[in-house]
Amino acid sequence: MYLSLKNISKVFPPRGGATEVTAVNNVNLEIEKGELVTLLGPSGCGKTTTLRMIAGFEFPSSGTINLDGKEINMLPPNKRDMSMVFQSYAIFPHLNVFENTAYGLNVQRLSKAEIARRVGKVLELVQLTGYEKRAPNQLSGGQQQRVALARALVMEPKVLLMDEPLSNLDAKLREQMRTEIRHIQQELNITSVYVTHDQLEAMTLSDRVVIMNQGVIEQVGTPMEVYRHPQTRFIADFIGRANFVKGKVAAVQNHGLTVEIFGKTLTLADVQSSHPQGSEVTLIVRPEMVSVRKEGEFSAIVRRATFLGNYIDYDVEIGGQMITAVETDPMRMQYFPEGSPVNLQFASACIHILPKE
Amino acid sequence: MTTSSPPLKTSTSRLSSWIRRYREFALIARDPVLFMSLLFCGIFLFIFVILPLFRATEGGFFNKEGLFDLRYFSRYFDAYYGPVMRQVFVNTLVMGLLTATGGTILGFIFAFAVVRCKIPGKNLVHWLAMVPTVSPPFAIALSTILLFGRNGLITRKLLGIVFKPGMNDVYGMDGLVFVQIITFFSVAYLILRAMLERLNPALEEAAESLGAGRLHVFRTVILPLLIPGIAGSFLLLFVESLADLGNPLFISGNVTVLSAQIFLAVIGEYDYQKASALSLVLLIPTLLIFLVQRYYVNRRSYISVTGKPTTGVIVEKNPIIRWFFIAVAYLICATIILIYATIIYGSFSTAWGVDFTPTMRWWEQTVTRGIEAILDTTFLSALATPFAAILGMIIAFLVVRKRFSGKEALDFSSNLGGAVPGTILGIGFVMAFNKGQNVIGIIVYAILALFFVQMALTNARERIIILVIGTAAGLGLKFFNASFEDPTTINYIVGGLYLAGAILGLVRRQKTTALGAGALGAYMILANLINYAAEPIAVYSRNMERGFWSNAIFQFSDHIKVIFQPTPSLLAILLIFGGVLLVRGQKSWLRWILGTVFLAIPCAITFYDKPWAMVGSPYIILMAFIVRSLPASVRAGVAALQQIDPSIEEASNILGADAQYTFRKVTLPLILPALLAGLIFSFTRHMTSLSAIIFLVTARWRIVTASILSEWEQGGVSIAAAYSTVIIIFVLIAIGVLYLVTNKLLGNRSDIDLSVGA
Repeated sequence: MYLSLKNISKVFPPRGGATEVTAVNNVNLEIEKGELVTLLGPSGCGKTTTLRMIAGFEFPSSGTINLDGKEINMLPPNKRDMSMVFQSYAIFPHLNVFENTAYGLNVQRLSKAEIARRVGKVLELVQLTGYEKRAPNQLSGGQQQRVALARALVMEPKVLLMDEPLSNLDAKLREQMRTEIRHIQQELNITSVYVTHDQLEAMTLSDRVVIMNQGVIEQVGTPMEVYRHPQTRFIADFIGRANFVKGKVAAVQNHGLTVEIFGKTLTLADVQSSHPQGSEVTLIVRPEMVSVRKEGEFSAIVRRATFLGNYIDYDVEIGGQMITAVETDPMRMQYFPEGSPVNLQFASACIHILPKE
Repeated sequence: MTTSSPPLKTSTSRLSSWIRRYREFALIARDPVLFMSLLFCGIFLFIFVILPLFRATEGGFFNKEGLFDLRYFSRYFDAYYGPVMRQVFVNTLVMGLLTATGGTILGFIFAFAVVRCKIPGKNLVHWLAMVPTVSPPFAIALSTILLFGRNGLITRKLLGIVFKPGMNDVYGMDGLVFVQIITFFSVAYLILRAMLERLNPALEEAAESLGAGRLHVFRTVILPLLIPGIAGSFLLLFVESLADLGNPLFISGNVTVLSAQIFLAVIGEYDYQKASALSLVLLIPTLLIFLVQRYYVNRRSYISVTGKPTTGVIVEKNPIIRWFFIAVAYLICATIILIYATIIYGSFSTAWGVDFTPTMRWWEQTVTRGIEAILDTTFLSALATPFAAILGMIIAFLVVRKRFSGKEALDFSSNLGGAVPGTILGIGFVMAFNKGQNVIGIIVYAILALFFVQMALTNARERIIILVIGTAAGLGLKFFNASFEDPTTINYIVGGLYLAGAILGLVRRQKTTALGAGALGAYMILANLINYAAEPIAVYSRNMERGFWSNAIFQFSDHIKVIFQPTPSLLAILLIFGGVLLVRGQKSWLRWILGTVFLAIPCAITFYDKPWAMVGSPYIILMAFIVRSLPASVRAGVAALQQIDPSIEEASNILGADAQYTFRKVTLPLILPALLAGLIFSFTRHMTSLSAIIFLVTARWRIVTASILSEWEQGGVSIAAAYSTVIIIFVLIAIGVLYLVTNKLLGNRSDIDLSVGA
């Protein structure tokens, strides 16, 4: 394993009457060489603290961090051979683009020619050729972002760390940079750890997503895994939208089971988790798995209907519970106004089941 | 994050809090340079701020025999002394209240005129308002007397008033308050101007759109938002007024205030117990206000003063209001110009009030007789300036960027030295450093020795043994050295040892070790050798014709000695710190030898003679200067550092740079404007300080401000005016030079803001 975190915890001492805070609690994580892993979670979940411990800005209260077979727990940041892109970019305001990019190479006392060659190459990569002499305050937000990225990439680090690098950009630019970062990362095959609270960003960029909440890792998996098979209610709620429907296992088959919801039964094929007959479960039903139609098994009443062009967003009431549904099927693009009685159909093959909490 | 109920203080929680503190320091101790800076700042503030203030206030409770005695406190309640003592106290409060009120109003008028009224010649008005802050403390009092006194240019010459006994003249409370308002209003101006500029115009527009008239908006929106600024400047002015010594000495006439009473207790009655007792009386209100200001007013501010000025300032539309403010501001500007023109002209007039024909006589006298004071003051001020500014930046860096227990105490005490009245600090300096109490020496040595073994050595056994052997050897060395005819021999021996260390470093290819040891060794040896340079210069100057050049050259020989012959106490601190760098990371057997040697030497020096008996030496004046100007530098540094995103330093760190490289290449260039501002403030404060150093001045080390006072007392009005002019010119030159340097260094960078920390 290239970079591994074993039983990492970070406890911040109490300050000014507050109690001590456990920011990161017993985290275990293994990252392969060349992989891009995203730490995803709401603010205060410990993702940035974890990243800062990997960088060496904070030292873990317990546990070990290994890089390339060596323990780096107490190694200061400047000895770790990593580089980082900061949320605020942290571009040196008194240096121009070239000097900013060359900063780390200057620390290593490389020859002028070598520095010029490497800086030139990396500026070309981030499409900033020709901007070498610009001062940071003469650059747009996107360009500053690229400088920050170039400055980190030029070091050819063992691990590239990124702390919400796109959160200060506007939506369009963010989308563009997202694909660009992924492209560069794959081209250079650079091991990366990326912190974000934006699930879309995590889904587009990552090989694997690490979802954190209140200092612990809730799930690690590919974007598809965490979306399709969330291991906890928190994840289902955090990644995408989800309806939680209470149910009871009515029968267990070979490759699936029958559950009872809203007084009716629904057969789910291909369910991995084994729940014994009679156990109470929670079904995770994504809005796009619910289709709203004139006839079907589950009758409901539309409480809110919003037409959004390429889809219709519904809140429907069924069995005393509100369920969100997204109707995207162009074949059935029929609009049911508020108050209409409708019937629901569930895409039973995609529904995921969790034990009742 | 606030919790309503404090956690139970069990013994385990106390223990864990101590463990946490130890861990924090252990984390800082991983970086020796950082830890040294922290320790150095701590020791400096303890010795030169906390200790003198403690001595100054504690002295009031003990009589000459050292017995507990409340004589001077009880005088406030006794029938014989009581009325006078109480009157002085009341006078002081009245003066403070009037000055604070008047100064705040004037400051507001100036701020409003500059920010809201489109005043023509805005920059000139701003600079004129700043002039009183860079002039010597009694320049304005002096000039006011020259203009409005019994022989005043305006009162006598123009208006023809002849003063008879019983008439109300400029001397007294009215004159004093006028002078203090002019002297201090710029403080209020700066605070209120910053607030007005950052007042969001949308708020006023919102109020107006809701139908409020101008006056209503002012009353219900502007004024409430400015309350913290007004309260802040009122309190600040009150404290400044109470602390002021120069103006009351000149112009208060029969009205005595506390600061002058303290001064007279020392200079007239030579009664330090009385001075201490009165100091405590003066310290209590000033300290209270300092605390209120720091922990209450500053935290109640609605307007963030650190942010950028909001764009689009509302301009006063009503011409009557606008021109009223402009007229008052112009009037005060004219008064300021008149005051300074009077000082300059006063130094040229043959006999003020009688014969106004210009003459160069007073300047000739000032230059020949006063050159000593002028050179001493400039030299000591300049020498103290970089130390004050750098120390300020280091404290600011520690306070803003680092986590450790006692941070608040460090911040607080660094501000305290400049906040308390200078007279109190001056008395404290005299009382703390007159006999060279060995208690300080022992405490400081103990802290430094523990620091030394902790930082330089690796295990507990080594630490304890070297601590004992080193200290014993040091004390032995002290007695050995005492038997030498010439105590300077030790300098050669020690210097030689360090040079040997440097050669060792060279052989072992340890560049830093060699450099550090070489510099220390050379410095020690130069302490002796410098005499061979200084003595002939002194002799040469003696053989010259007495006059400007002979005095100047003689002073020069003194000044170079100051740089190379610090008092043993300061030298010992320097050597301990140097020693840590030399011994750290050496091989085991070398650590044993070097550790013992480099602990023994500072130990011997620490206890040699009376290392802390600094009264009479130039170093005590230097320290007083630094303590007084430190708050301005710290504030400038804190303001600058708070605006720099900590990630910028982290970015440098993770790109491979260590703390030292980062500081040099990133932090320093970014706080350079603040550093330069700190330098300007420090130098100005040094050149113009009076109250803190008046008791520390000796025949050998003269200070211009003290000379002005003595000239004045002897009736040398024109010479006093000439001295004042000299100080003003020197300060202006220094500011000009630093501006040029700033522009040169920073080029066309737009983020220079020299008003930070003001």
